Amino acid sequence: MTRTFLLARALCLLTLSSLAHATETPPPPPALQPETCSVEGLMDSIRRGLQSKSPAYRRYLRELLKESAVTLPEEQLRAAFERETEPVMVEHLAAALVAKTERGESPATLQLVGKRASTDADPAVRAASTRALRRTSAEEHTGDLYSRLVRDASPEVRMEAATNLIEDNQFVYAGLHGPVSDMAVAAAVASSDSKVTARILDNISTAAISKESAEQLHTLLGGDDAQVRAAAAKALGGVPAPEMSRARQTLVALYRGESDVGVRTAILQSLARLGFASAVPELTALRNVDPRLAPEVDAWVRALSTGLQEWSLILREKQRLQQAR
Amino acid sequence: MAGAPRYDATTCWRDLERFNEGVSIDTFREWAAPLLASRDPLVRMYLKERLTELIGNDAGRASQVLEWTRDAGPKEFKVFAMALKDSEAVHLPEVSRKMLELGMDVALEPERRAGVLSSLDTQKQLSPDALGKLADFAKDPASGEAGWAAARTIARVMKNDHERSANAAPYLDKLLSIGTQSLDEHVRYMALSTPMETAPVLDASATDGFAKVLTTEGSPDGRGAAAHNLSLSADRAKVLETFARAFEPEQDVCVRWSLFRFSARAAGKDALPVMANMALVDPRFQPTYQDFERIYASGVLDFERVWLALADQDPYGCLHRD
Repeated sequence: MTRTFLLARALCLLTLSSLAHATETPPPPPALQPETCSVEGLMDSIRRGLQSKSPAYRRYLRELLKESAVTLPEEQLRAAFERETEPVMVEHLAAALVAKTERGESPATLQLVGKRASTDADPAVRAASTRALRRTSAEEHTGDLYSRLVRDASPEVRMEAATNLIEDNQFVYAGLHGPVSDMAVAAAVASSDSKVTARILDNISTAAISKESAEQLHTLLGGDDAQVRAAAAKALGGVPAPEMSRARQTLVALYRGESDVGVRTAILQSLARLGFASAVPELTALRNVDPRLAPEVDAWVRALSTGLQEWSLILREKQRLQQAR
Repeated sequence: MAGAPRYDATTCWRDLERFNEGVSIDTFREWAAPLLASRDPLVRMYLKERLTELIGNDAGRASQVLEWTRDAGPKEFKVFAMALKDSEAVHLPEVSRKMLELGMDVALEPERRAGVLSSLDTQKQLSPDALGKLADFAKDPASGEAGWAAARTIARVMKNDHERSANAAPYLDKLLSIGTQSLDEHVRYMALSTPMETAPVLDASATDGFAKVLTTEGSPDGRGAAAHNLSLSADRAKVLETFARAFEPEQDVCVRWSLFRFSARAAGKDALPVMANMALVDPRFQPTYQDFERIYASGVLDFERVWLALADQDPYGCLHRD
């Protein structure tokens, strides 16, 4: 190789590296301009934004559409919703229509979403519409929708409906609103899917349920499915004061006849909850019925012996005591 | 549409998609400037979350953003500080150490220091050294508003640590020292009231500490907060005795209300005799006593439910007292 050749090569490399360097210099800043939002423009941004790797951007677009909903023309929003068949897009538009009702406009837009949740031919669209009703006032505006959704042909839809009932109960009504708690119990009973029944009863507050709903829980204790029996036993632990003593008696009696360890575990928890410190003798008397659960009984006795007066704190201390061992 | 609430139209940003795809930590501050200057809260929230993504778990990038907080304008500052707080990198020791140092830098104005210290709120725990520094800083009159933020940071990290590992004692110890030694009533109240959110079961030392506050703290709100914390002491008998003794000399009706209701939270229906005595000392508590008696007789045990069953949760007008 000649010196000139080497030199030429070096120069060439230099040029290449400086070229490479040039492409690394930052691109010019985007020309960010504020504009009035339109249904069409938003839909377009969302459709493209769904490809974005940034969850922050996707969250932003969803919130932007929801926040825009109240000031966007309702006709256009409805038309876009009715035209749309892509489940993810349906969910965005449905959330926007629901937001209109939640901001004090008529329940009609929310009901439109409820209708699609129960009647669309595509199960993914029904599930998406159901999700859009979560943590809203939907249960007050949609009649028996939930009792139908928990019987939907698609397991996904049934489970989404269960999640709505659970999250509405907790986050919208703080577990204190009787009618929605009763609606959740009714839906649990109405469902043909024992997983759905169990999941609802496992996770709702029964603090404000009616006498009739409590009765339903007693009936479910006699069912064939152990998951459902366990969930009903757990739900009975939280019933209103007039129902407490009956629940306690039923559960103690049931414990001895029950063979499923999951149901027995749930019964122990409910006895602890219904009796606090006064449950200690009751629990101790059951200790030898099932040796597998003796440590569980001991854990409850220790947690109740702390003398704490709030159920959430007793539960917390019980978990701690078990972890510490 | 009479009576219907009016909402402002939202803002859509042309070219935001290109911003989102092309922005890097090096271009963020320049590119985001027009968005930060706007009055659009949605886009500000987005910027905060996007910046958290850009910081990731990288100490270098986190330090770069921390440097920006030194001279950032108020809107920028909030986005930077909150993005740091929520980033993964905030848990790297070298990052949290730098944040603590900057938060205590006297060259910075108090508001800025308070904001930087608040970015430590998401820490999973505080080392004894960091805890000591924050507590000393909170007690120092020269810290001003940032002292208040330091006390709050101790309380918030206590909550995080307690949720994961049931550990509260070292934090409570520091909060008690701030709550009894700070000369600023607001800082003391911050230290005395924040343990409520964590709801730790008090050991003997914390029980003694808060029991002293009942007789030494000048502000009624501070004494009420101490009673609240004491209701979760492991030593219920001692708490009932302390409350019974504190009731008569206490002149403030709202603190008396705290001693009264937190007796029930401490000992449930076993507290009724103590509460009956309190109602003899101060007859204003007669109707409320009867209400508690009725609720316990109905079979309700959980204090949260007892509370909700009360005919009036604010019988002495203490809720919005200012």
